[in-house]
Amino acid sequence: MPTSRSLKVVLALSLLVTVSLVGLVLFGLLRAWWSTPISVFGFVPGQVEQPIEFPHPVHVEEAGIQCDFCHRSVAKSEAATVPPLELCVACHMDLPNGTFAGMGHPSVEHVKELWEKGEPLDWKRVHRVPDHVQFMHEPHLNFFREQQGLETQQVCSLCHGDVGAMNEVRQVEDLKMRDCVDCHKQNNAPTDCVICHY
Amino acid sequence: MANNHKWGMVIDIDKCTGCQACVVACQSENNIPINTEDLVLQRRAFQWIRIERYWEGTYPDIKARFMPILCQHCENAPCEPVCPVYATYHNNEGLNVQVYNRCIGTRYCANNCPYQVRFFNYWEPEWPEELKSQLNPDVTVRSRGIMEKCTFCVQKIRRAQVEVEQRDGEAIDDEQLRTRNLNPACVQACPSDVLVFGDFNDPNSRVAELSHDERHYKLFEHLGTDPNVIYLKKIDLEAEDEDHH
Ligand code: HEC
Ligand code: HEC
Ligand code: HEC
Ligand code: HEC
Ligand code: HEC
Repeated sequence: MPTSRSLKVVLALSLLVTVSLVGLVLFGLLRAWWSTPISVFGFVPGQVEQPIEFPHPVHVEEAGIQCDFCHRSVAKSEAATVPPLELCVACHMDLPNGTFAGMGHPSVEHVKELWEKGEPLDWKRVHRVPDHVQFMHEPHLNFFREQQGLETQQVCSLCHGDVGAMNEVRQVEDLKMRDCVDCHKQNNAPTDCVICHY
Repeated sequence: MANNHKWGMVIDIDKCTGCQACVVACQSENNIPINTEDLVLQRRAFQWIRIERYWEGTYPDIKARFMPILCQHCENAPCEPVCPVYATYHNNEGLNVQVYNRCIGTRYCANNCPYQVRFFNYWEPEWPEELKSQLNPDVTVRSRGIMEKCTFCVQKIRRAQVEVEQRDGEAIDDEQLRTRNLNPACVQACPSDVLVFGDFNDPNSRVAELSHDERHYKLFEHLGTDPNVIYLKKIDLEAEDEDHH
C-alpha cells in the first residue's frame, strides 16, 4: 500500500529529525555546562566589546608596567579593580603643556575627549563568577607571592593566562568550581563550602 | 583554616529593651527582602533575627519581656540531616551553613527547626530602584526557591580571617572584632550590649566568660540540639521577692 509506505517514510524522517534535534540541544547544553563564558555550539558570546581598545602588551611588555600598578587593589581586597580614566591621564598627559603622549592612536584620543568632557570610561567586565560565589584576590596574591615566591605577573597568569601578551583580554581558564577546588586541594587551602559560597 | 575557632553568641535578656535595632541592622547587612504587608500577612516575612515579646501579668501590673531569637547554630542541628542534598551542614568552626546554590527548596529543614529561624523565598526578592545600590556585595542575593537564615554574618568572619589572620598575622580576639567592625551586624547595632559575639575557644573572650555565668541556659535544651547561642536569664527582683514571701 503506497499510503502506508509514505507514512512510514514520513515517520522515519520525523524520527530522524527529532533525534538529531534532541541530540543538538543536549550537545549545546553540555557545552554550556562545561565552559565559561557560556558557549553554545562553539559560538562564544563572551568576547567582550570594550569602549576603546586597550593594548596590554604595550604597557606590560614594552613599558614594563606592573599589573598591580593599574589593578591597584589586587593584593589588598576582593576585587582587582580596573583603573579609572584618571590613571590613564596621569601617565599620558604631559602636564605643563597639556599634550597627550600616544596621540594619533584612536584610544588615546578618546581618552582625551572623555577627560575634557569629564566623563568616565565604561569598561565591560570580562571575568565574572556567578553571584553565589565570593572570590577574593588578596589571599591568592599573598599566598603565591609570599609563600611560593612567584612574581605578581606569574600569579595572575595562573588564572588569567598571559594577559600581558593579549591585545584584547579574554578569559582563557574556565574558573569553574572544579578549577578552584583542585588547586585548593593541591595547596592545602580550605575547601569548606562557606569559603566560597555565602 | 589554621586556627580552631568556635563562633557563638551570648544574649543577655536582662538588658534587652526590644528596640529592634538588631533586626534593622541585620536586614540591611544581609540583603534581606523588604517585609511588605503582604509577606507579613502570608506569614512569609523574613527575620533572620526577631524580637519575641511576651506580656507577664495583667494591666496595670504588667511587664513586657523581650527575647531576641536567631539561628542557634546548633551543634546537633535538626535541620541538617533532613536536607537531601547537603545544602545545610555544620562546619568545623561551629557555624550552621546554608549553601544557597546547593539548595533545591524542599523546605524540610525549616519544618524540622524547632526555633523557626529559617525562611523560604516564595518569590523573587525585589527592591525599589533607589535601594538597589545599597545591597551588600559580599552577600549573595537569594533567588526564588531558596532557603535562607542567619549566618552569624559569615562575610564578616571571612573578612576577619583574611584581614586579621592572613594579612596582618594577628589573632582574632574581641578587641579586633570590635575595632575593625567585624562583629555581626546585630551585635554592632545593639545599643544596650545585649548581644555578645565571639570565639568560645578563646579563653579570654567575653562569650567564653559569660558562658559560665550562673544565669546561662540554652533554648529548648532538652531537645538535645546543643546550640551555640547561650541566653542569660532575666533578673527580676520583684519576682524573687514574691517567691520569698
Ligand atoms: C596600564 C594599566 C594596566 C596594566 C599595567 C595592566 N592592566 Fe590589566 N587592564 C587594564 C585595563 C584598562 C583593563 C580593562 C580593559 C580590558 O578589559 O581590556 C584591564 C583588564 C584586565 C583584565 C580583565 C578584567 C575583567 O574585566 O575581567 C585582566 C584579567 C587583567 N587586566 C590582567 C592584567 C594583568 C595580569 C596584568 C599584568 C601582566 C595587567 N592586567 C596589567 C589596565 C592595565
Ligand atoms: C604607568 C603609565 C601608564 C598608564 C597608567 C597608562 N599608560 Fe598607556 N602607555 C604608557 C606608555 C609608556 C606607552 C607607550 C608609549 C609609546 O610607545 O609611545 C603607552 C601606550 C599606550 C597606547 C598605545 C599608543 C600607540 O601609539 O601605540 C594606548 C592606546 C594607551 N597607552 C592607552 C592607555 C589607556 C586607555 C590607559 C588607561 C587605562 C593607559 N594607557 C594607561 C603608559 C601608561
Ligand atoms: C586564583 C585565581 C586568580 C588569580 C591568581 C588572579 N585572578 Fe583576577 N580574577 C579571578 C576571578 C575568578 C575573577 C572574577 C571575580 C568576580 O567575578 O568577582 C577575577 C577578576 C579579575 C578582574 C576583574 C574584576 C575585578 O576584580 O576587578 C581583574 C582586573 C583581575 N582579575 C586582575 C587580576 C590580576 C592583575 C591578577 C594578578 C595580580 C589576578 N587577577 C590574579 C581569578 C584570579
Ligand atoms: C592556582 C591555584 C588556585 C586557584 C585556581 C584558586 N585558588 Fe583560591 N586559594 C588558593 C590558595 C593557595 C589559597 C590559600 C591562601 C592562604 O591560605 O593564604 C586560596 C584561598 C582562597 C580563599 C580564601 C580562603 C581563606 O582562607 O580565607 C578564597 C575565598 C578562595 N581561595 C576562592 C577561590 C575561588 C572562588 C576560586 C575559583 C574561581 C579559587 N579560589 C581558585 C589557590 C587557588
Ligand atoms: C574554592 C571555592 C569553592 C568551594 C570551596 C566550593 N565551591 Fe561551589 N562553586 C565555586 C564556583 C567558582 C562556582 C561557579 C562555577 C560556575 O561558573 O558555574 C561554584 C558553583 C557551585 C554550584 C553550582 C551552582 C549552579 O548554579 O550551577 C554548586 C551547587 C556548588 N558550587 C556547591 C558547593 C558545595 C556544596 C560546596 C562544599 C562542599 C562548594 N560548592 C564549595 C567555588 C567553590
